Amino acid sequence: MNAAAWLQVLASGLLMGLVYGLVAVGLSLIFGLMDVVNFAHGEFLMLAMYAAFGLFSFAHLDPVIALPLVAAAMFGVGAFAYAGVVRHALRFKANTGMVQIFATFGLATLIQGAAQYLFSPDYRSIKGGWLEGHTLNVGGVFLPSAQVYAALVSVLAFGGLYLLMTRTDFGRALEATREDKGAVALVGIDSNRVFTLGWGLGAALVGVAGAVLATFYYIHPQVGASFALIAYVTVALGGFGSVFGALAAGVIVGIVEAGTAALLPPALKALGVYLLYLAVLFLRPQGLFGKL
Amino acid sequence: MDQTGTMPAVSNAPAATAARSTFAQQRRRQLLQGAIVLLLITLLPLFVTNAYLRNVLVLTLLYAALAQSWNILGGYCGQVSLGHALYFGVGAYAASKLFVDHGVVVWFGMLAGGALAALLALVVGYACFRLKGHYFSIATILFAEIGLTLLHNWDYVGAATGIQWPFGADSWWTLQFARDKTPYIYVALGLAAIVWLVTWWIEDSRWGYWWRAVKDNPDAAQSLGVTVFRSKMAASALSAFFTAAGGAFYAAFVSYVDPDSVMNFRFSLLMALPVVLGGIGTLWGPVLGAALLIPLTEFSRSYLGGGGNGVDLMIYGALVMSVALIKPEGLVRLFAKRMAAR
Amino acid sequence: MINRRDTLIGLAGLAGALTAARAQGGEVVIGAIYPMTGPTAQVGTDAKHAFDTALEVINTAVSLELPTAKNAGLAGLGGAKVRIVYADHQADPQKGRAEAERLITQEKVAAIVGCFHSSVSTTVSATCERYGVPFVCADSSSPSLHRRNLKFFFRTAAHDEMFSEAMFNFLDAQKAKGQKIASVGLFYEDTIFGSDSSNVQRKLAQERGYKVACDIKYRNSSPSLTAEVQQIKSASPDVLMPSSYTTDAILLVKTMAELGYKPKSIIAQAAGFVEKPTLDAVGDRLGGMITRASFSVDLGEKRASAHAINEKFKARAGRDLNDQTSRQFTALIVLADAIDRARSTDGQKVRDALAATDIPGDKTIMPWSRVKFGADGQNTFASPVLIQYVGNRFVTVYPFEVAAGAAQWPMNG
Repeated sequence: MNAAAWLQVLASGLLMGLVYGLVAVGLSLIFGLMDVVNFAHGEFLMLAMYAAFGLFSFAHLDPVIALPLVAAAMFGVGAFAYAGVVRHALRFKANTGMVQIFATFGLATLIQGAAQYLFSPDYRSIKGGWLEGHTLNVGGVFLPSAQVYAALVSVLAFGGLYLLMTRTDFGRALEATREDKGAVALVGIDSNRVFTLGWGLGAALVGVAGAVLATFYYIHPQVGASFALIAYVTVALGGFGSVFGALAAGVIVGIVEAGTAALLPPALKALGVYLLYLAVLFLRPQGLFGKL
Repeated sequence: MDQTGTMPAVSNAPAATAARSTFAQQRRRQLLQGAIVLLLITLLPLFVTNAYLRNVLVLTLLYAALAQSWNILGGYCGQVSLGHALYFGVGAYAASKLFVDHGVVVWFGMLAGGALAALLALVVGYACFRLKGHYFSIATILFAEIGLTLLHNWDYVGAATGIQWPFGADSWWTLQFARDKTPYIYVALGLAAIVWLVTWWIEDSRWGYWWRAVKDNPDAAQSLGVTVFRSKMAASALSAFFTAAGGAFYAAFVSYVDPDSVMNFRFSLLMALPVVLGGIGTLWGPVLGAALLIPLTEFSRSYLGGGGNGVDLMIYGALVMSVALIKPEGLVRLFAKRMAAR
Repeated sequence: MINRRDTLIGLAGLAGALTAARAQGGEVVIGAIYPMTGPTAQVGTDAKHAFDTALEVINTAVSLELPTAKNAGLAGLGGAKVRIVYADHQADPQKGRAEAERLITQEKVAAIVGCFHSSVSTTVSATCERYGVPFVCADSSSPSLHRRNLKFFFRTAAHDEMFSEAMFNFLDAQKAKGQKIASVGLFYEDTIFGSDSSNVQRKLAQERGYKVACDIKYRNSSPSLTAEVQQIKSASPDVLMPSSYTTDAILLVKTMAELGYKPKSIIAQAAGFVEKPTLDAVGDRLGGMITRASFSVDLGEKRASAHAINEKFKARAGRDLNDQTSRQFTALIVLADAIDRARSTDGQKVRDALAATDIPGDKTIMPWSRVKFGADGQNTFASPVLIQYVGNRFVTVYPFEVAAGAAQWPMNG
């Protein structure tokens, strides 16, 4: 492969990495907030993709327009998941880590089964959307418009999240609750309410990711599984709780994955990412930007 | 005194002496319970004659053994590994390769696989034990995924095609039986019993105390002279050994291994889930959890799965979620209350 | 006076009647083990439609030139109806085996068909062998399956070596006609399907003097295939030979389009490339793609039964029969026919009837010369065809004797 080919590979890796970051940031937020790893994160992504597909097929809304609707719907799903499921898993003080893993694992299996029941296991694609079939050619490097769009949305989402966390009352409450759950009660912050909204926000972010992915990726009940592990690795690499970490790690993972696929037999491309994670964490046990 | 076996502070006050003898009584009672359960299960094949149900019994016993092994590291030592499928797969492949290529029977295969896995556990531990909480768990997942990727691409072990055990005559020596499940039931029972005994021994041993100290408060443990790192390594190696032995057994049982059928992530979850459902860090928790979860998994797939509409997954997921939420401390608590009430 | 001969005949008749009566308690039960949940659950759904179509032919009187069509039910067993019990193997060989044992010991199935995944077919067929119950491999194509000296294993359709040989025979023929074909590009996924397929293709390429321009093993279900496709693009083979399931096929074609790469020609190993979701999603970019196949819809123009069955299937499944579903349909018909001839559901008798099967190709819906099993259980007469996707439908292009027309070559000049 020559230099032009390499440039292509790395550019595509960058775009995909921004998408990974977007998929991961919701997970990072929730974890940072309350030390909970949502094992159903992949299934949230899958639901978001089906929502975008449904709106396209029945309401003829292009995914670009449908994005805020999907995000809003997922907000509801996330809030419900906390209030209905996770809050109860946190009752037991010891071993909460394991209990929430399995409570959310049960939730994930339930959602997968429901998706198969409701939507059938068939593979769906959105065909005929606005971004379909256009590719930008920047100096010999092909950038599919759907993925460029995805990358832009990702950057905007991160920017918006940053502003939310630092400039709004809600964001500050979120941050405060994350740092000291006990103390916030003293200043009148209802931590349950904050957690519910936090989960909603995390799920809304994954909803954005799903709406964006649906423009160029196929959809079926197990699609979440393909992204879930990458999301967890991205979050941990960037550092749980760090929004910027998720973005940086996503980009790194995307580029390393693409580069490894070009260097080694592509069936081994995941190894590049995994070994990177292990190496980085060996040197920095809290991840790149995590606070531990 | 509850079933977790937490030890009260040792002193010579009359109350403490009484507590110590109560503890000893409890220990004896646990052994008696173990013996009774062992006897009951030994008699079970006389009543359960259907091949499919016997299959479920073998799987349940195997997962009881695997869950109990996982419990050593995850329950007693507090290190939540979600990559135990690595050791399971190593055991399965080691036994398969030794038998198919060199005629080494699975009894030695279990030991060899176990030793190999224990060594791997030390490597994994070295890389991961400075990581905490979810960082650690994710690192363990990745080690298993690395193992899976390597198996998929390594021709020496058959790559994606896997290894098929040759058809042979029924024999205890090779542990190959065409239709009879009884030998497998007893071997799995033996494995489960051994790991249960090891756990029982741990509960009142030096290592056990160190591990629980590491789990509850690593910094305090360190200050009291417990070498945290070495403790974790020992727990990890022991846990990996028995998991791999289970994997070797599984390979002999199914007579076929391929990467996804022995090193997939779902095994890691399925080894840990019974422990969470039954009671983390308890003696009987993993057994109880396996006894509940495995038949549930098998029956929901067999009797509902044929429909192809995902209903079995929904029921399975809902049940797992319910138990995790309603009794997060584990089902073993249901029995503990009754014991304490006496 | 009752002599010995009459007694014997009488007893035989009685035994036959009893066997028939056992089955005529209404029915013959057959087990079908498929992935019903998980990433390949759609295969199970489609298989059900294929089997339901076959059951219609078997259990009702249908005027088609197919075995078991004429009578309602199995005449050899007094009109007994065939019923299928489905089981989910979730792509796990151990679960497949457990289900096989359950079907054999609890549901008392006379035979089992399955399983799509070759790894599951491996353990299920081993179990069937141990219980003396016939296993008809409907659709697993790994060449190793029939080479294990099993007496109760039967595969009606072709395996990977036969499929890939057909592909290279076609390439040789094209070259003989003056087409320039110097290199092939192998692109395959990393599970048993991709491995088996690529191993045969690599060997044939070397034997027949084609340069392997790129040999890319990719990870099944990757979120992105850009780097992989870039390598194909850089190598620019004359013929791209992908072995991919549906999701990867869709992603591959989309990525090729995104990178501005138009392969000169594609000869695919069916699987994902003949599935409706793929053709719906990216069919517009696959005009001119050639794939191996067990079946082609245009056969319906020459054979009434093929057309009629395709229509019946389409009514149930909303899509045409393809490589997969046609094999599943045929496997069940052949099995039912064997049980009919055996006049029994006894494992050994059905097995012997299967071994004696000799159905002329035109009495099936497939473009085969016949269905006749060798001693190893493989039907060597299951000659594959190559079909080309032109104008949103598949047209047979090879062998030339059965081709509807000349192949459009290359795909993208």
